[in-house]
Amino acid sequence: MEEHLINNVLLGLLMMTGFAIVRMRSLLAVTMLTSIYSLLSASLFVVLDAVDVALTEAAIGAGISTILMLATVALTTDEEKAPRHKPLLPLFVVVATGAALIYGTLDMPHYGDPMAPIHLHVAPTYLHVTPEEIGVPNVVTSVLASFRGYDTLGEVTVIFTAGAGVLALLGYRTRRRNSQNPEIRKMVVLRVITKLFFPLILLFALYVQFHGDYGPGGGFQAGVIFATGFILYALAYGLGNVQRIIPYRTLRIMMVAGVLIYIGVGIESMLLGGKFLEYRILADDPVTGQHLGIMLIELGVGITVAAVILIIYYGFVSRQHQEPPEDT
Amino acid sequence: MYIVVSIVILIAIAAGLLRAFLGPTLYDRVLAVNMVGTLTVLIVAVLGFMTERPEFLDIALVYVLISFVSTIAVLRVYAHRNTEAAGGTTGPGDK
Repeated sequence: MEEHLINNVLLGLLMMTGFAIVRMRSLLAVTMLTSIYSLLSASLFVVLDAVDVALTEAAIGAGISTILMLATVALTTDEEKAPRHKPLLPLFVVVATGAALIYGTLDMPHYGDPMAPIHLHVAPTYLHVTPEEIGVPNVVTSVLASFRGYDTLGEVTVIFTAGAGVLALLGYRTRRRNSQNPEIRKMVVLRVITKLFFPLILLFALYVQFHGDYGPGGGFQAGVIFATGFILYALAYGLGNVQRIIPYRTLRIMMVAGVLIYIGVGIESMLLGGKFLEYRILADDPVTGQHLGIMLIELGVGITVAAVILIIYYGFVSRQHQEPPEDT
Repeated sequence: MYIVVSIVILIAIAAGLLRAFLGPTLYDRVLAVNMVGTLTVLIVAVLGFMTERPEFLDIALVYVLISFVSTIAVLRVYAHRNTEAAGGTTGPGDK
């Protein structure tokens, strides 16, 4: 009952935010509202008990996606152009699609219905088998990394491809000046807070990485948090200083290495006589093998995700320092 | 008990949202986003205890560590824009 109330209030706030985002023309304001949108939707996921999703939304929506949108705004313009055509046709399309979708939900099982098909198909098996065969308290991790290991491999490849695509489009330009903006030097509070928080963020990323078997979290979230830590450092101390810690070349290797670790675990289990990504063969005890396999592939995921996000960020920011062609 | 607390926090979030919608300046919005971020941390923590799963605090912690980074990024972009507009130079501003 109480949760329903909170659910509805959060959904209402989400809708208001959505409308406000559509109405606004200042892209900086829109970016900030999308950040609020993600904060609210993460709270909604918490109410719905989807803790892993909430953690992902928290890590990606509040931090990375806002930062990447800002990087885009900084490279382009912060004012949305007024549409040149009349909004009638798009409005009609949207209303018609929305009506069709709502009509489609009429046939769907009610929220929380235990007889819904989704609760009857594979979910009971996963819940039953996880404690004995995999021995991981967080079933989400066991589904993601073990039962659906192929899916996750596909997702990692998608992220890798996205990184490679951004790299191909934006490229990366080495900076001629490695000097810092003198204005940032004056921001003492920012610099001190960054120094305090930077190790804490990295530590928490490691916690999320290796605690994913027991609580919410895993490679995806940890990689994002890790990258956010470095982006914070870049914001306070300049891109040049971050590149002294993680150079661009290392990132490119990391981006590939993560995917290769994942595939390597699969091939190793094949070499040992099992199927691709059959972890239980990796150690003498099947449960230990599962633990080992999950830990290794989560590590691969984390490395790839962190590297891809940092590469995208480097790509965007390194462009900002160049003289724009139209100015010359 | 927890339900009262969460309703109060939701009202505060709504108030923050209103400020973010209305603006009018960028600083109002930045402050509003920051406030909604802090309140989200609170409501996630309260919800965790309401549903008796205090491990939700992990999510609250992620927010504490991350949400302020985007605020800093907004201000950096804005400051960069202003120096560009004032001086007309493409300064070496980092972001």
